[in-house]
Amino acid sequence: MKYVDEYRDADLGQALAGEILSLVEPGRHYKFMEVCGGHTHSIYKYGVDDLLPANVELVHGPGCPVCVIPMGRVDDGIALAHEEGVIFTCFGDMMRVPGSDGSLLEAKAAGADIRMVYSPLDALRIAKQNPDREVVFFAIGFETTAPSTALTLKRARADGVTNFSVMCSHVTIVPPLRALLESPDLRLDGFVGPGHVATVVGARPFEFIPADYGKPIVVAGFEPLDILHAITMILRQLNDGRCEVENQYARVVPYEGNQRALDVMAEVFELRPHFEWRGLGFISHSGLKLSEAYADLDAEKRFSVPGVRVADPKACQCGEVLKGVIKPWECKVFGTACTPERPIGTCMVSSEGACAAYYNYGRFAREREVV
Amino acid sequence: MTVVRVDADRGLALCADEEGSRHTIETALVEPVSPGDRILVHAGTAIAALAPDESETVAS
Repeated sequence: MKYVDEYRDADLGQALAGEILSLVEPGRHYKFMEVCGGHTHSIYKYGVDDLLPANVELVHGPGCPVCVIPMGRVDDGIALAHEEGVIFTCFGDMMRVPGSDGSLLEAKAAGADIRMVYSPLDALRIAKQNPDREVVFFAIGFETTAPSTALTLKRARADGVTNFSVMCSHVTIVPPLRALLESPDLRLDGFVGPGHVATVVGARPFEFIPADYGKPIVVAGFEPLDILHAITMILRQLNDGRCEVENQYARVVPYEGNQRALDVMAEVFELRPHFEWRGLGFISHSGLKLSEAYADLDAEKRFSVPGVRVADPKACQCGEVLKGVIKPWECKVFGTACTPERPIGTCMVSSEGACAAYYNYGRFAREREVV
Repeated sequence: MTVVRVDADRGLALCADEEGSRHTIETALVEPVSPGDRILVHAGTAIAALAPDESETVAS
Protein backbone atom coordinates (compact mmCIF):
# COMPACT_ATOMS: atom_id res chain seq x y z
CA MET A 1 0.00 0.00 0.00
CA LYS A 2 1.29 3.42 -0.91
CA TYR A 3 3.19 5.15 1.91
CA VAL A 4 2.59 2.30 4.35
CA ASP A 5 5.18 0.28 2.42
CA GLU A 6 7.62 3.18 2.57
CA TYR A 7 7.21 3.34 6.34
CA ARG A 8 8.02 -0.39 6.51
CA ASP A 9 10.79 -0.31 3.93
CA ALA A 10 13.59 -2.69 4.98
CA ASP A 11 16.39 -0.74 3.22
CA LEU A 12 15.33 2.52 4.83
CA GLY A 13 15.12 0.69 8.15
CA GLN A 14 18.69 -0.55 7.73
CA ALA A 15 19.79 2.98 6.85
CA LEU A 16 18.16 4.38 9.99
CA ALA A 17 19.69 1.57 12.04
CA GLY A 18 23.11 2.57 10.66
CA GLU A 19 22.41 6.17 11.58
CA ILE A 20 21.48 5.15 15.12
CA LEU A 21 24.73 3.19 15.38
CA SER A 22 26.68 6.26 14.29
CA LEU A 23 24.90 8.45 16.82
CA VAL A 24 25.41 6.34 19.95
CA GLU A 25 28.40 6.85 22.16
CA PRO A 26 30.19 3.51 22.71
CA GLY A 27 30.32 2.66 26.39
CA ARG A 28 27.18 4.63 27.22
CA HIS A 29 23.95 2.78 27.96
CA TYR A 30 20.81 4.46 26.65
CA LYS A 31 17.42 3.73 28.11
CA PHE A 32 14.38 5.08 26.26
CA MET A 33 10.77 4.51 27.24
CA GLU A 34 8.08 4.09 24.62
CA VAL A 35 5.04 5.29 26.53
CA CYS A 36 2.36 3.73 24.36
CA GLY A 37 1.49 0.04 24.16
CA GLY A 38 0.87 0.47 20.43
CA HIS A 39 4.57 1.27 20.03
CA THR A 40 5.54 -1.78 22.10
CA HIS A 41 3.61 -4.01 19.73
CA SER A 42 5.10 -2.41 16.61
CA ILE A 43 8.60 -2.81 18.06
CA TYR A 44 8.21 -6.57 18.52
CA LYS A 45 5.98 -7.20 15.52
CA TYR A 46 8.54 -5.66 13.17
CA GLY A 47 11.68 -6.57 15.12
CA VAL A 48 12.68 -2.93 15.62
CA ASP A 49 14.70 -3.80 18.72
CA ASP A 50 16.83 -6.22 16.66
CA LEU A 51 18.00 -3.27 14.60
CA LEU A 52 19.21 -1.32 17.63
CA PRO A 53 22.74 -1.41 19.03
CA ALA A 54 23.05 -3.45 22.21
CA ASN A 55 23.53 -0.33 24.31
CA VAL A 56 20.16 1.15 23.28
CA GLU A 57 17.48 -0.33 25.50
CA LEU A 58 13.76 0.22 25.05
CA VAL A 59 11.61 -0.01 28.15
CA HIS A 60 7.86 -0.17 28.00
CA GLY A 61 5.63 2.42 29.57
CA PRO A 62 2.18 2.58 31.15
CA GLY A 63 0.26 3.58 28.00
CA CYS A 64 -1.95 0.52 27.78
CA PRO A 65 -5.54 1.36 28.78
CA VAL A 66 -6.55 -2.14 29.86
CA CYS A 67 -3.28 -2.86 31.68
CA VAL A 68 -3.64 0.00 34.15
CA ILE A 69 -7.16 -0.88 35.34
CA PRO A 70 -6.90 -2.21 38.91
CA MET A 71 -8.61 -5.38 40.04
CA GLY A 72 -11.07 -3.48 42.22
CA ARG A 73 -12.52 -1.70 39.17
CA VAL A 74 -13.05 -5.06 37.43
CA ASP A 75 -14.84 -6.31 40.54
CA ASP A 76 -17.00 -3.17 40.51
CA GLY A 77 -17.86 -3.83 36.86
CA ILE A 78 -18.81 -7.43 37.59
CA ALA A 79 -20.99 -6.32 40.52
CA LEU A 80 -22.80 -3.87 38.23
CA ALA A 81 -23.22 -6.55 35.57
CA HIS A 82 -25.01 -8.75 38.11
CA GLU A 83 -27.54 -6.00 39.00
CA GLU A 84 -31.12 -6.91 38.10
CA GLY A 85 -32.09 -5.72 34.61
CA VAL A 86 -28.62 -4.47 33.64
CA ILE A 87 -26.94 -4.99 30.28
CA PHE A 88 -23.24 -4.37 30.90
CA THR A 89 -21.16 -3.35 27.88
CA CYS A 90 -17.40 -3.08 27.46
CA PHE A 91 -14.57 -3.35 24.95
CA GLY A 92 -13.43 -6.88 24.09
CA ASP A 93 -10.08 -6.58 25.87
CA MET A 94 -11.75 -5.87 29.20
CA MET A 95 -13.73 -9.12 29.09
CA ARG A 96 -10.74 -11.27 30.01
CA VAL A 97 -9.13 -9.05 32.65
CA PRO A 98 -9.09 -11.02 35.90
CA GLY A 99 -10.87 -9.55 38.89
CA SER A 100 -10.44 -11.00 42.34
CA ASP A 101 -13.13 -13.60 41.61
CA GLY A 102 -13.05 -14.17 37.88
CA SER A 103 -13.39 -12.00 34.79
CA LEU A 104 -16.32 -10.35 33.03
CA LEU A 105 -16.21 -13.24 30.56
CA GLU A 106 -16.68 -15.70 33.40
CA ALA A 107 -19.48 -13.54 34.83
CA LYS A 108 -21.14 -13.68 31.40
CA ALA A 109 -20.81 -17.46 31.40
CA ALA A 110 -22.45 -17.45 34.83
CA GLY A 111 -25.48 -15.67 33.41
CA ALA A 112 -24.83 -11.92 33.58
CA ASP A 113 -25.85 -10.02 30.43
CA ILE A 114 -22.46 -8.70 29.35
CA ARG A 115 -21.93 -7.61 25.77
CA MET A 116 -18.79 -6.68 23.93
CA VAL A 117 -18.97 -3.42 21.98
CA TYR A 118 -16.71 -1.75 19.47
CA SER A 119 -17.55 1.78 20.61
CA PRO A 120 -19.63 3.60 23.27
CA LEU A 121 -22.00 4.50 20.45
CA ASP A 122 -22.78 0.78 20.09
CA ALA A 123 -23.64 0.68 23.81
CA LEU A 124 -25.99 3.64 23.37
CA ARG A 125 -27.63 1.84 20.46
CA ILE A 126 -28.23 -1.20 22.71
CA ALA A 127 -29.85 1.14 25.24
CA LYS A 128 -32.22 2.50 22.59
CA GLN A 129 -33.10 -1.03 21.48
CA ASN A 130 -33.79 -2.14 25.08
CA PRO A 131 -35.76 0.69 26.72
CA ASP A 132 -36.89 -1.59 29.58
CA ARG A 133 -33.31 -2.44 30.55
CA GLU A 134 -30.50 -0.39 32.11
CA VAL A 135 -27.42 -0.30 29.87
CA VAL A 136 -24.05 0.47 31.47
CA PHE A 137 -20.90 1.17 29.47
CA PHE A 138 -17.54 0.43 31.14
CA ALA A 139 -15.47 3.34 29.78
CA ILE A 140 -11.72 2.87 29.80
CA GLY A 141 -8.80 4.45 28.00
CA PHE A 142 -6.63 7.51 27.78
CA GLU A 143 -7.40 10.76 25.99
CA THR A 144 -7.63 8.86 22.69
CA THR A 145 -10.83 7.13 23.81
CA ALA A 146 -12.30 9.62 26.27
CA PRO A 147 -13.67 11.98 23.56
CA SER A 148 -15.69 9.07 22.17
CA THR A 149 -17.33 8.48 25.56
CA ALA A 150 -17.94 12.22 25.96
CA LEU A 151 -19.65 12.51 22.56
CA THR A 152 -21.81 9.48 23.32
CA LEU A 153 -22.95 10.99 26.62
CA LYS A 154 -23.84 14.22 24.83
CA ARG A 155 -25.74 12.20 22.26
CA ALA A 156 -27.60 10.28 25.00
CA ARG A 157 -28.59 13.59 26.57
CA ALA A 158 -29.67 15.09 23.24
CA ASP A 159 -31.70 11.98 22.32
CA GLY A 160 -33.33 11.83 25.76
CA VAL A 161 -32.01 8.34 26.52
CA THR A 162 -32.37 7.76 30.24
CA ASN A 163 -31.60 4.03 30.53
CA PHE A 164 -27.92 4.55 29.63
CA SER A 165 -25.08 5.26 32.04
CA VAL A 166 -21.29 5.14 32.09
CA MET A 167 -18.88 3.62 34.61
CA CYS A 168 -16.06 6.01 33.92
CA SER A 169 -12.52 4.67 34.29
CA HIS A 170 -10.83 7.01 31.84
CA VAL A 171 -7.30 8.11 32.73
CA THR A 172 -4.93 10.83 31.61
CA ILE A 173 -1.37 10.33 30.40
CA VAL A 174 0.60 13.12 32.07
CA PRO A 175 0.22 12.20 35.79
CA PRO A 176 1.61 8.64 35.44
CA LEU A 177 4.55 9.95 33.40
CA ARG A 178 5.29 12.46 36.13
CA ALA A 179 5.00 9.69 38.73
CA LEU A 180 7.46 7.55 36.74
CA LEU A 181 9.89 10.44 36.42
CA GLU A 182 9.69 10.99 40.18
CA SER A 183 10.35 7.29 40.82
CA PRO A 184 13.85 6.42 42.01
CA ASP A 185 13.51 2.95 40.40
CA LEU A 186 14.04 4.12 36.89
CA ARG A 187 16.72 6.10 35.09
CA LEU A 188 15.59 7.10 31.62
CA ASP A 189 17.40 9.02 28.89
CA GLY A 190 14.38 9.95 26.81
CA PHE A 191 10.86 9.13 25.69
CA VAL A 192 9.17 7.98 22.49
CA GLY A 193 5.94 9.93 22.99
CA PRO A 194 2.42 8.52 22.47
CA GLY A 195 1.30 9.49 18.96
CA HIS A 196 -2.42 8.85 19.23
CA VAL A 197 -2.93 10.45 22.64
CA ALA A 198 -1.08 13.44 21.20
CA THR A 199 -3.57 13.59 18.33
CA VAL A 200 -6.07 14.71 20.97
CA VAL A 201 -3.98 16.54 23.60
CA GLY A 202 -1.23 17.75 21.25
CA ALA A 203 2.49 17.71 21.95
CA ARG A 204 2.41 20.72 24.28
CA PRO A 205 1.37 18.79 27.49
CA PHE A 206 4.68 16.90 27.29
CA GLU A 207 6.77 20.05 27.62
CA PHE A 208 7.13 19.37 31.35
CA ILE A 209 9.39 16.40 30.55
CA PRO A 210 12.26 18.49 29.15
CA ALA A 211 11.41 21.54 31.29
CA ASP A 212 11.13 19.85 34.70
CA TYR A 213 13.12 16.64 34.25
CA GLY A 214 15.66 17.46 31.53
CA LYS A 215 14.68 14.53 29.26
CA PRO A 216 13.98 14.68 25.52
CA ILE A 217 10.68 13.39 24.14
CA VAL A 218 9.78 12.74 20.51
CA VAL A 219 6.10 12.14 19.71
CA ALA A 220 6.15 9.28 17.21
CA GLY A 221 4.00 7.37 14.74
CA PHE A 222 3.44 3.62 14.83
CA GLU A 223 5.15 2.26 11.74
CA PRO A 224 8.60 0.72 12.27
CA LEU A 225 10.40 3.56 10.48
CA ASP A 226 8.52 6.10 12.61
CA ILE A 227 9.95 4.48 15.74
CA LEU A 228 13.50 4.22 14.36
CA HIS A 229 13.28 7.83 13.18
CA ALA A 230 12.10 8.94 16.64
CA ILE A 231 15.10 7.18 18.22
CA THR A 232 17.49 9.02 15.90
CA MET A 233 15.80 12.29 16.86
CA ILE A 234 16.21 11.56 20.59
CA LEU A 235 19.87 10.64 20.07
CA ARG A 236 20.49 13.83 18.09
CA GLN A 237 18.99 15.88 20.92
CA LEU A 238 21.27 14.16 23.42
CA ASN A 239 24.34 14.60 21.19
CA ASP A 240 23.53 18.28 20.54
CA GLY A 241 22.92 18.91 24.24
CA ARG A 242 19.31 19.83 23.43
CA CYS A 243 16.30 18.76 25.41
CA GLU A 244 12.87 19.47 23.97
CA VAL A 245 9.56 18.11 22.67
CA GLU A 246 9.79 17.16 19.01
CA ASN A 247 6.99 15.89 16.82
CA GLN A 248 8.00 13.08 14.49
CA TYR A 249 4.32 12.33 13.78
CA ALA A 250 3.43 15.78 12.43
CA ARG A 251 1.48 14.18 9.59
CA VAL A 252 -1.21 13.34 12.16
CA VAL A 253 -0.44 15.22 15.38
CA PRO A 254 -1.01 18.98 15.51
CA TYR A 255 1.19 20.52 18.21
CA GLU A 256 -1.93 21.95 19.90
CA GLY A 257 -4.03 18.76 19.58
CA ASN A 258 -7.71 18.57 18.67
CA GLN A 259 -9.43 21.52 20.36
CA ARG A 260 -12.94 20.20 19.72
CA ALA A 261 -12.04 16.94 21.47
CA LEU A 262 -10.52 18.82 24.40
CA ASP A 263 -13.63 21.03 24.67
CA VAL A 264 -16.08 18.10 24.72
CA MET A 265 -13.94 16.31 27.34
CA ALA A 266 -13.87 19.48 29.49
CA GLU A 267 -17.66 19.69 29.29
CA VAL A 268 -18.42 16.07 30.17
CA PHE A 269 -15.59 15.07 32.51
CA GLU A 270 -13.82 16.38 35.56
CA LEU A 271 -10.70 15.12 37.28
CA ARG A 272 -11.03 12.73 40.20
CA PRO A 273 -8.93 13.73 43.23
CA HIS A 274 -7.22 10.31 43.04
CA PHE A 275 -7.40 7.25 40.83
CA GLU A 276 -5.84 3.87 41.47
CA TRP A 277 -3.60 2.47 38.73
CA ARG A 278 -2.66 -1.17 38.58
CA GLY A 279 0.87 -1.50 39.84
CA LEU A 280 1.38 2.25 40.18
CA GLY A 281 -0.98 2.83 43.10
CA PHE A 282 -3.03 5.99 43.63
CA ILE A 283 -2.03 8.94 41.46
CA SER A 284 -3.54 12.37 42.09
CA HIS A 285 -5.71 13.95 39.40
CA SER A 286 -5.05 11.11 36.98
CA GLY A 287 -8.57 9.75 36.44
CA LEU A 288 -11.74 11.22 34.98
CA LYS A 289 -15.31 11.09 36.26
CA LEU A 290 -18.49 12.57 34.87
CA SER A 291 -18.99 16.26 35.59
CA GLU A 292 -21.93 17.50 37.70
CA ALA A 293 -23.83 18.32 34.49
CA TYR A 294 -23.74 14.63 33.53
CA ALA A 295 -23.97 13.13 37.04
CA ASP A 296 -27.36 11.58 36.22
CA LEU A 297 -25.64 9.39 33.60
CA ASP A 298 -22.94 8.24 36.04
CA ALA A 299 -23.36 4.50 36.70
CA GLU A 300 -21.47 4.80 39.99
CA LYS A 301 -24.19 7.18 41.23
CA ARG A 302 -27.10 5.31 39.69
CA PHE A 303 -26.10 1.94 41.18
CA SER A 304 -24.43 0.79 44.33
CA VAL A 305 -20.80 -0.01 43.46
CA PRO A 306 -18.68 -1.85 46.04
CA GLY A 307 -15.59 0.30 45.38
CA VAL A 308 -13.38 -2.07 47.33
CA ARG A 309 -9.65 -1.87 46.81
CA VAL A 310 -8.15 -5.24 45.92
CA ALA A 311 -4.44 -5.95 46.05
CA ASP A 312 -2.86 -7.33 42.86
CA PRO A 313 -2.06 -11.06 42.96
CA LYS A 314 1.30 -11.63 44.61
CA ALA A 315 2.68 -13.63 41.68
CA CYS A 316 1.87 -10.89 39.17
CA GLN A 317 4.50 -8.26 38.41
CA CYS A 318 2.45 -6.08 36.05
CA GLY A 319 3.31 -3.07 38.21
CA GLU A 320 7.04 -3.45 37.59
CA VAL A 321 6.38 -4.11 33.89
CA LEU A 322 4.20 -0.99 33.60
CA LYS A 323 6.89 1.09 35.28
CA GLY A 324 9.55 -0.34 32.96
CA VAL A 325 11.49 -1.70 35.94
CA ILE A 326 11.49 -5.28 34.64
CA LYS A 327 11.05 -6.83 31.23
CA PRO A 328 8.01 -9.10 30.83
CA TRP A 329 10.10 -12.29 30.66
CA GLU A 330 11.64 -11.41 34.03
CA CYS A 331 8.24 -11.88 35.71
CA LYS A 332 8.05 -15.20 37.57
CA VAL A 333 4.79 -16.28 35.94
CA PHE A 334 5.41 -14.98 32.39
CA GLY A 335 4.60 -17.63 29.80
CA THR A 336 4.03 -20.33 32.39
CA ALA A 337 1.13 -19.65 34.76
CA CYS A 338 0.31 -16.41 32.89
CA THR A 339 -0.43 -16.68 29.16
CA PRO A 340 -2.84 -14.83 26.84
CA GLU A 341 -5.23 -17.81 27.12
CA ARG A 342 -5.16 -17.78 30.94
CA PRO A 343 -3.83 -14.39 32.02
CA ILE A 344 -3.03 -13.53 35.62
CA GLY A 345 -2.07 -9.95 34.90
CA THR A 346 -3.54 -7.29 32.63
CA CYS A 347 -0.33 -6.85 30.61
CA MET A 348 -0.85 -10.36 29.23
CA VAL A 349 -4.52 -9.71 28.38
CA SER A 350 -4.49 -6.59 26.30
CA SER A 351 -3.48 -6.38 22.67
CA GLU A 352 -1.41 -3.37 23.79
CA GLY A 353 0.13 -5.05 26.83
CA ALA A 354 3.91 -5.51 26.92
CA CYS A 355 3.66 -9.13 28.14
CA ALA A 356 1.26 -10.03 25.32
CA ALA A 357 3.65 -8.41 22.81
CA TYR A 358 6.61 -10.43 24.10
CA TYR A 359 4.58 -13.63 24.24
CA ASN A 360 2.92 -13.27 20.84
CA TYR A 361 6.16 -12.40 19.05
CA GLY A 362 8.20 -15.12 20.70
CA ARG A 363 10.35 -13.06 23.07
CA PHE A 364 10.20 -15.57 25.88
CA ALA A 365 13.62 -14.73 27.25
CA ARG A 366 16.25 -12.42 26.05
CA GLU A 367 19.38 -11.09 27.62
CA ARG A 368 20.96 -8.47 25.43
CA GLU A 369 24.64 -7.93 25.61
CA VAL A 370 25.19 -4.53 27.16
CA VAL A 371 28.13 -2.54 25.82
CA MET B 1 -10.63 4.47 7.71
CA THR B 2 -12.15 5.95 4.58
CA VAL B 3 -15.42 7.87 4.62
CA VAL B 4 -18.05 6.20 2.43
CA ARG B 5 -21.24 8.15 3.19
CA VAL B 6 -21.92 11.16 5.40
CA ASP B 7 -24.95 11.83 7.60
CA ALA B 8 -24.11 15.43 8.45
CA ASP B 9 -27.34 16.03 10.41
CA ARG B 10 -26.49 13.32 12.92
CA GLY B 11 -22.71 13.92 12.90
CA LEU B 12 -22.11 10.37 11.70
CA ALA B 13 -20.42 8.77 8.72
CA LEU B 14 -20.34 5.28 7.30
CA CYS B 15 -16.66 4.39 6.97
CA ALA B 16 -14.69 1.44 5.62
CA ASP B 17 -11.57 0.05 7.29
CA GLU B 18 -8.55 -1.41 5.49
CA GLU B 19 -10.26 -4.80 5.17
CA GLY B 20 -13.43 -3.25 3.76
CA SER B 21 -15.58 -3.75 6.88
CA ARG B 22 -17.98 -0.86 7.40
CA HIS B 23 -18.61 0.98 10.64
CA THR B 24 -20.69 3.95 11.77
CA ILE B 25 -18.28 6.60 12.99
CA GLU B 26 -18.79 9.82 14.99
CA THR B 27 -17.33 12.68 12.99
CA ALA B 28 -18.13 15.69 15.21
CA LEU B 29 -14.47 16.24 16.12
CA VAL B 30 -13.17 16.40 12.55
CA GLU B 31 -16.08 17.84 10.53
CA PRO B 32 -16.58 18.60 7.76
CA VAL B 33 -15.80 15.27 6.10
CA SER B 34 -16.63 14.07 2.60
CA PRO B 35 -16.71 10.64 0.96
CA GLY B 36 -13.16 9.53 0.19
CA ASP B 37 -11.61 11.40 3.15
CA ARG B 38 -9.28 9.40 5.38
CA ILE B 39 -9.77 9.65 9.14
CA LEU B 40 -8.01 8.26 12.20
CA VAL B 41 -10.57 6.46 14.39
CA HIS B 42 -10.46 5.43 18.04
CA ALA B 43 -13.40 3.68 19.71
CA GLY B 44 -15.79 4.62 16.94
CA THR B 45 -14.89 8.31 16.90
CA ALA B 46 -12.75 10.11 14.34
CA ILE B 47 -10.06 12.04 16.23
CA ALA B 48 -8.06 13.30 13.25
CA ALA B 49 -8.67 13.94 9.58
CA LEU B 50 -5.67 13.17 7.45
CA ALA B 51 -4.35 15.28 4.62
CA PRO B 52 -5.05 13.41 1.33
CA ASP B 53 -1.39 13.15 0.32
CA GLU B 54 -0.37 11.89 3.74
CA SER B 55 -3.35 9.80 4.67
CA GLU B 56 -2.03 6.44 3.64
CA THR B 57 1.06 6.85 5.80
CA VAL B 58 -1.09 6.03 8.80
CA ALA B 59 -2.31 2.58 9.68
CA SER B 60 -5.65 3.44 11.22
